[in-house]
Order: sequence, then C-alpha cells, then structure tokens
Amino acid sequence: MKYKPCTPDHAQCAPNLNDVAASLAFAHQTPAALIRETREVVDLARKFNREVVRPYALELDRKLHEDPDFLPWEFVKKANEWGFYTMWLPRLFGGKGYFMHSMSAFIEEVSSACLSMGNLIGVHYLGMATLAATWNAPLLLKIFRDVAAGEKAGDPRIISLAITEPGAGTDVEEPDLIDKGNITCHAQKVDGGYVVNGTKVFISNGHVSKWHVVIAYSDLDLPSQNTVCLLVQTGQKGFSFGRHEKKMGQRACPASELVFKDCFVPDSMVAMDSEQIKGLKKDAKDTFQQVLDYVLGATRAGVAAFGTGVARGAYEEALAFANETEVEGKLLANHEWAQCMLAEMYKNVCIARLGYVETNHHNASSGIYKSMLAKPAFYFIRYAPEFLVQKVFPKLLGTDATTRALRKANFDNQTEEEMNRTSGWGSMAKFSGTDLGMKNCHMALELMGQAGLRHDQRVEKHFRDAKLLQIYEGTNQLNRLNLFKCLVSGACPQSCVFHDS
Amino acid sequence: MLCRADKELKLVDGAATDFANKVLAPNREEYDQYPFGQFWDGVVKKAFDLGFFHLTLPAELEGMGHGLAGLSVVLKSICAQDASLGGMLFTNAMAQEILLAAKAEKLLEEKIVKQEDVYKFLLAFPAFNNPSEVRHVATVTKSKGKRLLSGDVQYVVLGGLSAYALLPASVEGSKDFSFFLVDLASKKVSLSEPIFSLGLHACPAVDITLDKAPAVLVGEEGAGKKYFDRVADRMAVAQAAMATGIMEGCFAEALAYAREREQGGQKIVNWSEVRMMLANIAIQAKSAEMMLSRACEAVDQKQPKWEAAARVAAIQACAYACEATTDGIQVLGGVGYMKDHGQEKRFRDAKQIQALMGIAPMKKLRHIRSILEKR
Ligand SMILES: Cc1cc2nc3c(=O)[nH]c(=O)nc-3n(C[C@H](O)[C@H](O)[C@H](O)COP(=O)(O)OP(=O)(O)OC[C@H]3O[C@@H](n4cnc5c(N)ncnc54)[C@H](O)[C@@H]3O)c2cc1C
Repeated sequence: MKYKPCTPDHAQCAPNLNDVAASLAFAHQTPAALIRETREVVDLARKFNREVVRPYALELDRKLHEDPDFLPWEFVKKANEWGFYTMWLPRLFGGKGYFMHSMSAFIEEVSSACLSMGNLIGVHYLGMATLAATWNAPLLLKIFRDVAAGEKAGDPRIISLAITEPGAGTDVEEPDLIDKGNITCHAQKVDGGYVVNGTKVFISNGHVSKWHVVIAYSDLDLPSQNTVCLLVQTGQKGFSFGRHEKKMGQRACPASELVFKDCFVPDSMVAMDSEQIKGLKKDAKDTFQQVLDYVLGATRAGVAAFGTGVARGAYEEALAFANETEVEGKLLANHEWAQCMLAEMYKNVCIARLGYVETNHHNASSGIYKSMLAKPAFYFIRYAPEFLVQKVFPKLLGTDATTRALRKANFDNQTEEEMNRTSGWGSMAKFSGTDLGMKNCHMALELMGQAGLRHDQRVEKHFRDAKLLQIYEGTNQLNRLNLFKCLVSGACPQSCVFHDS
Repeated sequence: MLCRADKELKLVDGAATDFANKVLAPNREEYDQYPFGQFWDGVVKKAFDLGFFHLTLPAELEGMGHGLAGLSVVLKSICAQDASLGGMLFTNAMAQEILLAAKAEKLLEEKIVKQEDVYKFLLAFPAFNNPSEVRHVATVTKSKGKRLLSGDVQYVVLGGLSAYALLPASVEGSKDFSFFLVDLASKKVSLSEPIFSLGLHACPAVDITLDKAPAVLVGEEGAGKKYFDRVADRMAVAQAAMATGIMEGCFAEALAYAREREQGGQKIVNWSEVRMMLANIAIQAKSAEMMLSRACEAVDQKQPKWEAAARVAAIQACAYACEATTDGIQVLGGVGYMKDHGQEKRFRDAKQIQALMGIAPMKKLRHIRSILEKR
C-alpha cells in the first residue's frame, strides 16, 4: 500500500499551547475559592489519615487475608461519618458542594496511606460522575439526594459503576472495539422499562454499594449504538452479588461480580438510552463515547492521583527507612546513591502529580467541569442562598426539559478538539501516574531490602496495591492507544487505531 | 539448556519439573494462604524424600553432590510453578554452604545430615540480609568456656520450622561477626509469629529473640563476612535460577492466556502490543537463562572470575524477573491480579527474591568494588 507523506503541519510535534500547557493557559481562570478548598480538603485528608487510615490500614488488609469475604463496612461507615461521600456532591443535591477538581488532591493524600481506602472513597465518585455525565436531571436529584440522606442517617449509600463483563474488558472501554466484542449484558426494552440479563465482573465497591450504575446493551449485535445506562439498587429483584474476588492487593476494596437475572429496571431508573438522546447533534454511539470521555477524562485523572498517592506512600516509607538505618556503618540517607534514588522517587511523585493537575485544567477548560467552573457559575453554585438551593433548583431539575437543555449544552457544544484533549490527557495522566506509582514501589523495596518485605512496614502493601492501577479504568496499554488516537494520530494521517492483526 | 550435557542432571530436572507440575501447580493458591491457611507439610516432606534439600551437599555428607548446577536446575523448574519451595531450598542450601565454607563438616555430620525428619535436617537462616550491610546480628558473650547469644535476629527464614538456626553474632563493639549454630528448642530462644510477607508465603520466616542462648561457633571467630561473601557469590547462581524459573512460568501462563482470550474480535495474542509484552518477557527469560547457564558452568568449574559471572547473572535476572512479572500480570488484564492465577504470586515472589542476601543496589556496588579492588 502507498502511504501519503505527512504534511509539515502534521509532522511537527509541537501542538498548540492549549494542549501542552493547560496550567499556563487556564490557571489564571481558576477561582481562588477552589484553591482554598483544595488546601482545606488536603488538611482534612491528613487528619483522616492520622485518625482513621494509618491506624487501621494494615489491620484491615490482614483481616482480608484471614477472611477473604470480609466486607469493610466499618471503614465505609467511618468515611460516611466524615462526610466524604457527599463532599464533592453539589449543594443542590444535598452535598457539601466541593468541586471535583479538588478531589484529586484529597485522593492522593488518602492513597499515600492506603490505596484501598482511597478507592473505597474515590470509586463512589466514578459511579457518581458517570451518572452525572448522562445529565439526567431528575435521576441525579433522586440518587444523589439519597446518598446525602444516607449520610445523615449514618447509613452509607454509595454508588458503583459496572461496565466490565467476563468476556469484555478492554472492549467495553472503547467504543471502536465494542461491536467486535463478546458482549452479553442485555437490556431488553419492555413496557415501562428494561429487563436486564447478564453478568458484570470486577466491580469495585460492588458489595458495599447501594446503587449501581450499570451499562447494558439493548442490541448485543450492535452495542455501540444501543447502550443503556441504568440504575440498579442492591436487594432489587433479579439482581444479586456473585463472586467477591480474591485480589493480590487493595484487598479492602471489594471487586464484585454483579448478576442480573430478568432484572426489571423501570424507565424512571434509566439514566440514558439511545431513545432519550435522539435530537442531539451526534448519534448514539458518539454521544456515549462522549459520556465515556467526559467521565474518563476526570476519573483517569483520579487514577493518576491514586498513582501519585502510592508513589508518595512508597517514597515516604523509603525515606523513613533511609533516615533510621545504617548500611555498612553509615546512615543510608548519607549514601550518595541512595540520595539519588530518593531524589528520583521524589521526582516521580511530582511528575505524577503534574499529570493529574494538568489534566484537571483540561477538564475545567474543555471537559466535564467546564460548565461548573466558569467563575460566575462557580460562585453562584457555591454561594447561592439556601432557599434557592433547597426549594427552587430541585423543582427546575426535576423536569425532562432541564435534562434536554443540559444535554444540549454539554453534548452539542463540546468540540472534537476539546474531546480529544481531555480524553488524551486523562489517558496520559493515568498511565504515567500509575507507572510512576509502580516504579516508586519497586524502588522503595529495592532500597529497603529485607525490611521492605514485611507487611508491618507498609511498602509491600503499597507494591501489591499499586499494580491494580495499571489495569483498571482501561489497561495502560489501552490508555497509550487512546493517547495516540486523541493526540498523536493527527500527525499520522494514514493511521487507524485498533486495526491490528 | 542448563543440563544439556549431563544425564544425571537431566533426571533431576525431570523429577523437579514433574513435582512442580503435579504437586505444586494445582494447589498453588491454597499453599500460598500460609500463615492464614495450613502449612504445606506434606509437600515439604515429599521434596525432602526426593532429595531436593540434599542437592549441593557432597556425597561424603550424605548429599547428592550436584553442586550449584544441580540446585539451579531444580530451583528453576520448581520456581516456574511455586517459588515458595524454592525459597526453602535456597535458605537451607545457603546455610549448608556457609557451614561448608567454614569447614564445619563435622558439625553438619553430627547435628544435621543424618536426620531423617525434614525439620531436624533443615537449617534456618536469615537469608534476606547481608550482616555487613544492615547489622541484624546478635551479641555473643563467653561464659565458662561456652558461647551465649543475646539480642534479636530478624527475619530468620525457616526459623519456625527447623531444629537449628545458623545466626550471625558479634562481640560487643566489634565490627566483625561470626556464625553460630543455635538450637531453637532452647528455652533461651523465643520465636515470633510467622512474619506476614510480600511473597514466598509458604517459606516462612520469624524474628528470633535470644537471651543468653547457648550457641556453637561455626568456623573461625570473626570470619563471618568472609564466609558470607564467598557463599553469597556462589548462591547468586541459585538466586538467578529462581528468578529465571519465575520468568519461564510467567511466560508460559501469559502465552497460554493470550492464545485463548479474545478482545476486539480476535485472540489478544494477535494485537501487536500484546505480542510486544510477550516478546519482552520471552527475551528477558531467555537472556536470564543464558546468563544462568554461563554462571553455573563458571562456578562449578571454578573458572577465573566465576564470582563476576554469578553476581551479574543474579542482579540482572532478578531485575528482569521484576519487569517480566509486571507484564505477566498485564497480559492477563484483570484476572492476572487475582489469586486464582499464578501471575500475581510470581510478581510478588520475584520482588521478594531480588532481596535475597541483601539490598539490591548494594549488590551492584559490591560488584564494582570487587572490580576496582582487583585493578
Ligand atoms: C480489582 C479490579 C477492579 C475493577 N473495577 C472496575 C469497576 O469498578 N467497574 C468496571 O466496570 N470495571 C472494573 N474493572 C475492570 C477493568 O477496567 C478491566 O479489568 C480492564 O479494563 C481490563 O479488562 P480485562 O481485565 O478484561 O482485560 P482484557 O481486555 O482481556 O485485556 C487483556 C490484555 O490484552 C490487552 N488488550 C486487549 N485488547 C487490546 C487491544 N485492542 N490492543 C492492544 N492490547 C489489547 C490488554 O491491554 C491486556 O494487556 C476492575 C478490574 C479489577 C481487576
């Protein structure tokens, strides 16, 4: 085959400023309150680490080794008590109204002490963000208010996200692959709703969630055009839990099998299907791709924050060891080679962090946070009087017209360039942050030798926990391919992604 | 490749491979549950009956006299399926080698080699520390002509199982250390609960606290470093063999899975990025095997610079194994992270094995130091 040569424009590897320096381009637009809020949540996370996470992390991990079916209710209740499941819920849904933007820093902090506990909090927002990205206003109101009510009642009502199936992991993360995949979770349209049959696997927090955002398909032969996003409740008829996976790490955060057998889901619990989005500029496949991109742009930055956290945890343990251990009669921290290793680890933390910070700037300028972070909207949402929040907004939100307007504003107005930028950066932050997390765990274990092998020294747990980050939310291989597709393929006009054999 | 020319080694390898595939592989997950599940007593006894713990002992000491090549052949095959048993074989062999380096054959003969009970035969040893690096050594005092050990020695592998431990100790204020044989049944010795570790779960370790425990000096007083360094160079070959075995098991499982699993409408083995990961694992495993072969030959034939061949093989094979096992999980995606497959254990075990005999970067420094000292 003859290939076209690259045009000079495409061949150049210096993209525009918005691609490479979002912080330069957009940092000045960041509301000052958001910066204050980030400091506040980091302080809170540190307090939480001191009082809850550090004292309990090893014990909980050990418990899960003794009894693999143990569920971490005690921790989930604690996190609920501390208000973490509504922290980043807008006030009009009964939340505390912190912006998702600041969550990454919080997640980094908790994950530096325990990645599983970071996940027990963070994954709830994966479910929440997916539901939010459907912009189904009445359903958002119903579910999020229930989460907030659960906090008040001391009864955690957290949300999981179920996409992965036994035969389709990478395939369901990528709309370009899904039609070739072995997809089995079927949502059959019936009067008044859908009947769901099939299985989802590896669903984080499944067993401890009340709500499950489930992605199913009304036509298994053409799932890309027939995606259905539904809300299923624990205990609902036709829905049950299967296996509680025995994982290498992140033991405290359950990975669950969800089993659907003729599970009826009423229309009111359908967050989005192809019927609901008719009339938008894009077709159903592209709109669902957009939902996925909106969500993953943000949540992959979150996974990068997990990676940064674990990179830091490993670094901090290695540092403590170097400060108190003599090697060949000299303090380890005084060996030049060890100083260089510690410097390298410190750098890895900072680089990983830059990845998620930069990606969040992209999400704010071009992605899921855009409509909320424009300064007028930000301050209005944050400081609107209580009566508006409690009485007026809910009424407005409860209508289908609001849903339509929100969808139009969010789906029709995002440009392809914006989609590529947020999705590409989400992937970049994810695979680099998690690879660096893994790298630091390796280095910490190498530096600590025998001491690092012991459970009570924490580093070996970081090492086991970190490996998962390279797998979920799309393997790092898939994320590299997505980065190529979004940000590199423009410079390779003859390339097509996922056509390898 | 390791035993191409040696019929006897081929037989030993056949026995080890058979044992690994039939006894170890089917129950890997169950065995790995220790210390939260049952200890694999039956497996250890079988391995003892097959002579796996006698491989490097010379025939005069009731051993099989297969040298490090023999031990490496067995370790490679065993570790392809379950490196925990490899950890036990390694620890015991290292302790035996130190006794031999210290010319303490008599002690071995009196206390160890005639034992028919595996746990009376096995020697406990802190196999993950180099006492010259981090001084986890007990203190020795003399009383009425007897030597008594006090203090803590951490992470003594097989400590909760064996009758005797070989422990480092030094006279207070002295830089040197010596090795001592300690009867673990003594009332002056207390053992911690089994340590919960990253990998090699079924190769247990404990912390030992000694309170004037009687001990027998092994070899010369203050010569511990000399014995350790010499044996560490020899045992580096065994370490490389363990890492190589893990990689071979890892590659086999990744390849088999990639040939079965479909994504994007085809077997994942057909995605070239998956092939690239498989290729990296295969290249690392093969490189390690070639280095190992060369090192075994050099060590057993006492060729000039055998130490360098052994050290380099161990350092590099361990580094490869850590990378290869990371990719080994990755090829399997989510299931690779689960206990029902072998990859997650290989990933943990590879990292643990890298820490055998001391801190990994210090091994590189020792290597360059030995080159600098010679010139
Ligand atoms: C503990 C855990 C928690 C999880 N939590 C959740 C959750 O909360 N919700 C949820 O929906 N999912 C969850 N997942 C699923 C996770 O997102 C998937 O495991 C991941 O997407 C990979 O899919 P897979 O495991 O099926 O691997 P596969 O897709 O089978 O991939 C196997 C290998 O093939 C490669 N591969 C596959 N296709 C291609 C291709 N086209 N090109 C190149 N390489 C390819 C992959 O990179 C990988 O190396 C979780 C997984 C785990 C392990």
